[in-house]
Amino acid sequence: MPRVYVSSVIDAPAARVWERVRDFNGLPRWVPAVRDSRIENGEASDRIGCVRDFHLQNGDRLREKLLGLSDYDLFCTYSILESPMPLTDYVATLRLTPVTDGDRTFAEWTAEFDCAEAEAEGLVTGIGRDVFQAAFSSLKRQMAG
Amino acid sequence: MVRVVKSTIVDAPVEAVWDVLRDFNGHDRWHPIVRDSHIEKGQASDRIGCVRRFHLQDGSELREQLLTLSDADMAFSYCLLDTPVPLLNYVAHVRLSPVTDGDRTFWLWESRFDTPAGREQELRVMVAENVYQSGIDAIRTLVEVRP
Repeated sequence: MPRVYVSSVIDAPAARVWERVRDFNGLPRWVPAVRDSRIENGEASDRIGCVRDFHLQNGDRLREKLLGLSDYDLFCTYSILESPMPLTDYVATLRLTPVTDGDRTFAEWTAEFDCAEAEAEGLVTGIGRDVFQAAFSSLKRQMAG
Repeated sequence: MVRVVKSTIVDAPVEAVWDVLRDFNGHDRWHPIVRDSHIEKGQASDRIGCVRRFHLQDGSELREQLLTLSDADMAFSYCLLDTPVPLLNYVAHVRLSPVTDGDRTFWLWESRFDTPAGREQELRVMVAENVYQSGIDAIRTLVEVRP
């Protein structure tokens, strides 16, 4: 099962970073690749089981389901219901951990999924670099500002 | 119950930091407060359940037991068996994670323990600063050797 792991250090307290990323409907505010987002059936974005329906800048549409969210452990777990990517059983977790030395944040984003063997390398690189790392880089810029 | 958490970023690859930390008997080679250390009964220092018996620079003797060691998670945990300082039910966890953005290391060192009433703050500071922070500073000097 292919696995993506990207981690970074964000120069802001974990509570502040969490405030930005905890909204399951808030991707357009910090992930550059995301154009718009809405939660289906008018549900609250922190209700476990809610589904976000969003578009990327290139017009691709994705639907993702919130599986877990913790204000105590600072993590968010979700799965992909629909996407143009040739993969299945995709589950990802975004997790923040305070760095006590300097009051910074250690941010980790992992994903696991199934796909055809020939697609694995491209998907791991694409998701890791173009989605997760790009989002962390944007977050670092926002938090520094 | 007292909880101590220290975490930091070390500017070295995670493998280099783990290489130093995974030896449960190696702390006398890097921790400034540890004078000497040996594993009881001649056991290997990566055998779960092994006990390290060591002396601090002030001569006090401690015994600690390895509870968990994982090369997959780059983590270990241990408890105090004997100590002249009243740290009761002391269990500590160390965990490393790679920072892929910059090839650095996230290092978490945390513990929980009980103390006699009224000594919580004094012992929290002792563990956080004299043990964890001074150990982190020493490892940093050892592994951060990039030009």
